[in-house]
Amino acid sequence: MSDADALFDDGSDANQDDSQEDVMTPAELIAKLEEAWLNEKFSPELLENKSEVVECVMEQLTHMEANLQRVKKGDAKASVHRMEIDRIRFVLSSYLRSRLQKIEKFFPHVLEREKSRGEGDPSLLSPEEFAFAKEYYANTETYLKAVALKRMPPNLQTVDMLKAVPEPCLDSFVFLRVKERQENILVEPETDDQREYVVDLEEGSQHLMRYRTIAPLVSSGAVQLI
Amino acid sequence: MDPSEVEFLAEKETVKIIPNFSLDKIYLIGGDLGPFNPGLPVDVPVWLALNLKQRQKCRIVPPEWMDVEKLEDMRELERKEDTFTPVPSPYYMELTKLLLNHASDNIPKADEIRTLVKDIWDTRIAKLRLSADSFISQQEAHAKLDNLTLMEINTIRAFLLDSLNCMYKLRSNLQPGSSKGQFTDY
Repeated sequence: MSDADALFDDGSDANQDDSQEDVMTPAELIAKLEEAWLNEKFSPELLENKSEVVECVMEQLTHMEANLQRVKKGDAKASVHRMEIDRIRFVLSSYLRSRLQKIEKFFPHVLEREKSRGEGDPSLLSPEEFAFAKEYYANTETYLKAVALKRMPPNLQTVDMLKAVPEPCLDSFVFLRVKERQENILVEPETDDQREYVVDLEEGSQHLMRYRTIAPLVSSGAVQLI
Repeated sequence: MDPSEVEFLAEKETVKIIPNFSLDKIYLIGGDLGPFNPGLPVDVPVWLALNLKQRQKCRIVPPEWMDVEKLEDMRELERKEDTFTPVPSPYYMELTKLLLNHASDNIPKADEIRTLVKDIWDTRIAKLRLSADSFISQQEAHAKLDNLTLMEINTIRAFLLDSLNCMYKLRSNLQPGSSKGQFTDY
């Protein structure tokens, strides 16, 4: 099982998401997954998919599981490895599940954003999630038609999904921890008799503010939602 | 977030154990552990420490801060200050609970520690409620929350964020012609 360290080299070329992180150690990879998990859990909208991270983690898990197959029963190390695999798998499924929940909740808007995204922009959804969202859209539409719409007067038989399904509320407050120092973040006033002002976000400090203000910092990785 | 998920994150913290077995280095995906030799202290993540403890394969060395005197000082400071004082571990509450529930025989004065940590927690949560109250009544748009732990944030998260959203919706509907609140959640 000691080749667990070396195994990452096979998978690392699939991992060049930002060109700056060409090689990650497995431990860094798991940390990335956990970051993505927490961000996805706490952000009101669907974030960019991290399919490279997901794929690499899957590869690690399958490799480790294949190694464990060869170990004889009752090996003390194997049980520790199994426990670790179970923990990683929990984070991974919780991450994917929270994405699916958001897709189900905001499907017309998710598909709309995917449609309007420019050539070369990173995709919001993984191919599997995209298929899921499209199917979900079609099924919802068919269901509404079968249950109610076809019994309506002809002028009321269409429904605009974009208007019928609530949009993610970007004005929700979120808790965050700063990973890279940021200056001059504009805080919009709550009421008309207050003035807007700017704050500096020191590294390591924690804040409560509106998601809209710091949304770009979440996707760039400068802040972590908590 | 479910409290058990915060506990899950706390279980990644490392703790010293004294094993009573020997085993070579283990190469986990998240890093190497060991080697384990009987009687020699070694750092492992809490999840493994608890598992080994349950199988009676080790003794857990409590973290340095889990000490009656240090915690008493902390409690005094926490009561004296109006702001949140720095905590010894970002998961102090969870770790206390996990270690005391599963390894109280390895921790001297376990009951006193339990009470002290509970006192510190109560003081901090009372402060947190107060500051949440003033945050809402002053209609602030930004708050700095240094030294708060994830578990503390988590106890107030659902209630505070939902209230803020509700208030925002009520307010934005007051302004005629604003469609902001129209299609938002629930």
